[in-house]
Amino acid sequence: MRWFRIDLHIHSVLSPCGSLYMSPRRIVEEARKARLDLIAICDHNAGENGQYARKIAGETPVVLMGMEIQTMEEVEILALFEDEEACLSLQKELYALLPPIPCDPELFGDQLVVDENDEIVKRLDKLLLSPVPLPLEEVVRRVREREGLVIPAHVDRVSGGLLGVLGLLPAGDWPAVEISPWLEEMEALTRWPELRGRGILRSSDAHYPEEIGRGWTELYAAAPNFSELVLAVHRRQGRRLRPGPAMKGGS
Amino acid sequence: MTLAQVAEELRLEFLVRADPEAEVRGGYVSDLLSDVLAHAEPGELWLTHQRHLNVVAVAKLRKLSGVVFVRDLRPGPEVIQKANEEGVNLLVSAENAFHTAGKLHRLLFP
Repeated sequence: MRWFRIDLHIHSVLSPCGSLYMSPRRIVEEARKARLDLIAICDHNAGENGQYARKIAGETPVVLMGMEIQTMEEVEILALFEDEEACLSLQKELYALLPPIPCDPELFGDQLVVDENDEIVKRLDKLLLSPVPLPLEEVVRRVREREGLVIPAHVDRVSGGLLGVLGLLPAGDWPAVEISPWLEEMEALTRWPELRGRGILRSSDAHYPEEIGRGWTELYAAAPNFSELVLAVHRRQGRRLRPGPAMKGGS
Repeated sequence: MTLAQVAEELRLEFLVRADPEAEVRGGYVSDLLSDVLAHAEPGELWLTHQRHLNVVAVAKLRKLSGVVFVRDLRPGPEVIQKANEEGVNLLVSAENAFHTAGKLHRLLFP
């Protein structure tokens, strides 16, 4: 076993707030430059670009399917999947539930599905930056029934973070959480002692190509893949996680 | 002023009437529980859109006089049950946060 470098929270051009340069191809190229072994593209309430990143990347890096789902409470969680259909079927369910607010590209940015040849496959019309009208617990249930992994995103953040929004870690099973790129691990554990003993991840939460590599997690495992990640999140069979260094000068 | 009096004046509906004689010393409007934990004062009546179960724990920790869900929002049965167990007053306002807070302010600080 050895240490691998992973970043499970990267936005693409499918997120309205994601740069137009964040095509699956560009993300894979930047991830290779940053020497990442395992990544996930987690767009707001959507995961379709992950399938094209997989085709481009092969195994370098390994690409997981994923979404950053915003719950009714306005808490954001990363939902990660091995299986494409599991992720895409959940996206379909969530998209049907999203309020019919159109995405105005002038105001919010485009929401594009882009294939392995940098061709636009389609655009999603409903604004993805809305919470799905489902409680946190129901979203978690739907992810886990598809054998997905739940990691609350940037839990420290007042906007969209589990602890920022809900104040306390709610009842439930939270083996691992993500902290913001600039938050020191020790500071997080001091402010929220309930995070002690849980897996702590750091990610880039990149919306622009140059942000890929600004935050990562180290995974100690036999290989950089989904099943090893699940073992590490639960600290089983010697697998474990440790957050990379905090970014300097964030907000 | 007691919570029962405030409820009558503002036409709030009790979902959990744990302690209607609780004194209402002020109000606090927020949907962010971390903000309420950090800044709400004991005795304040909390106006919110947030309906997660953690609302009950936060209201109890901050010793608030009650929680008012605005715009006729209603929490799930597990929230009601928890508030009953913990002795936290829960109410509903048919009006939005702006109008509910405005009326509460006028009532408490005429």
